[in-house]
Amino acid sequence: MGLLLIAIVVTYAIFSHAGANPDHDWRAAARATIEHNQQEINNPDLPVKYKINMREEMALQQYALDHQLPPMETTLWGGVQRGAGLIQIITLFTVIIAGDMVAGEFTWGTIKLLLIRPATRAKILASKYAATLLFAAALLVTLFVSALIVNGILFGFQNIGLPHLQVLADGTVHESSMLLYVLATYGLKLIQLVMIVTLAFMISTVFRSSSLAIGLSIFIMFMGQVITFFFMRYSWGKYFLFANTDLTLYLEGKPLEEGMTMGFSITVLIFYFLLFNILSWEIFRRRDIAA
Amino acid sequence: MTQTDRHTPIVEIRNVTKRIGSKTIIENLSFDVPRGEVFGFLGPNGAGKTTTIRMMVGLMSITGGDIRIGGYSIRTHFEQAIRHVGAIVENPEMYKFLSGYHNLVHYARMIPGISSDRIQEVITLVGLENRIHDKVKTYSLGMRQRLGIAQALLHKPSVLILDEPTNGLDPAGIRELRDHLRRLTREDGISVIVSSHLLSEMELMCDRVAIIQNGKLVDVRQIGEYVQAEERQRVAFELEPLDQAKRMLEEADVEAVTDGRELVVNFDKPQIADWNKRFVEAGIRVYGIRSTAKSLEDQFLEMTGSDPIA
Repeated sequence: MGLLLIAIVVTYAIFSHAGANPDHDWRAAARATIEHNQQEINNPDLPVKYKINMREEMALQQYALDHQLPPMETTLWGGVQRGAGLIQIITLFTVIIAGDMVAGEFTWGTIKLLLIRPATRAKILASKYAATLLFAAALLVTLFVSALIVNGILFGFQNIGLPHLQVLADGTVHESSMLLYVLATYGLKLIQLVMIVTLAFMISTVFRSSSLAIGLSIFIMFMGQVITFFFMRYSWGKYFLFANTDLTLYLEGKPLEEGMTMGFSITVLIFYFLLFNILSWEIFRRRDIAA
Repeated sequence: MTQTDRHTPIVEIRNVTKRIGSKTIIENLSFDVPRGEVFGFLGPNGAGKTTTIRMMVGLMSITGGDIRIGGYSIRTHFEQAIRHVGAIVENPEMYKFLSGYHNLVHYARMIPGISSDRIQEVITLVGLENRIHDKVKTYSLGMRQRLGIAQALLHKPSVLILDEPTNGLDPAGIRELRDHLRRLTREDGISVIVSSHLLSEMELMCDRVAIIQNGKLVDVRQIGEYVQAEERQRVAFELEPLDQAKRMLEEADVEAVTDGRELVVNFDKPQIADWNKRFVEAGIRVYGIRSTAKSLEDQFLEMTGSDPIA
């Protein structure tokens, strides 16, 4: 699966790189943006909200021009950042592993030999859960490193020291570590991965059926957004797991529904996380192994 | 330490009850398994043998009562109790995609203090040296059984629990298994618990047998006791003419049954000789005298009746 993942990363990077215009002159584009925004700001009909955004944009572009910093999208970091979308693939792979993790032992009958070792059931389940998450972690490291190398080859490594630019509240431009910024993006995407994998693990433990665990989890993973959209019509929709998995919405300041906060979403996520794990644990601990 | 005390039983089963829903599977079962014996667990299908074994190894919860192994309760001190146990529950299921060796390594990792020397030792013990690095899916049932025993012996248990170990084995395999178990009890002093519904096999394999039916203990006896429990034996006389012989017996107030070919009576040794003489003197031709000692099977069926499966 690791090799398959690397192959996907390479293909994805090559295609997205081919889509980028190689002759693109970012300096000219930046100047054009600044000029355009300058005019728009003078437009009296435009709401203040947009003008603030434009001013920030101008400050960023100007800073980039002054310090000779190409925009992220034209460097290897852009490629690595886009690679975060491939975490979906990792989720898919890990769900397959998680779905078979406990159910497989039941299917093979090896659960009997496993549970008569001098280890409590809690220990055995915990190590299986840990192994699942380690598998995801290994794939994640593979993804990040291979994305960095492949995009480095495609875009060149010369911009690896590029800082991440951000406009602070006082209007000044602040430089921060690009590596941390990209890692944060990966980290936020991880939340969905952990939740879906935990769900698959729970179904695998409770229903002892790997096909049910894998099928249902993948279905929920792909349909999550649609179901969320549907549920949001009701007042209880915001308590749905997938209404809360995308925390980047709060960073961008546009929550799914008025009144939802980062704190609320984190609480809901923790609730589901504990619910899945406690269900797996309690049922696994009490189950009579009869098959 | 309890383990060194040869006189305490290795497994103590005390008033064990198992209920699933409103159905009582095992009712108030109590018996001990002494150290260094092959202990048979006999009963018709559905009597609760497998359930009891699953409770012994902690695969099923116990509704009431307790099971202690090596002095530790399987309910409250699972890790200490199960350390004394090596087991195969029903078929020896292994990871088919791994080699026999890696299966053993996998199980060895879960128990502290098993060296690679020990793994090699059990492989030699069960005689799998030549095929141990092949994938388990290429193994025959007999080889899987051996691998199962290897797995159960890894941590030098004091008791080996085998559920229906001879299922699916050919006569050679059964014999081999029997010799194996005998050697283990004799040389290493470990106890073996085997369950089966095959009586003849248990007769050859076990020192002691517990019979259960409908979840209740019917009897625990030493194998010798079963066969020679009665001083008098059942003897079949093949005679001609039968009627005359039967009349003679009736006149002497001896109960006799006939199947039209033979006369079956309960005699002790001197009686056999006396009656033979009397028959011959009366001019009856005696073709044969045969002891029809009750087999374990007869006694078993007598004890358990022919009740339908509960």
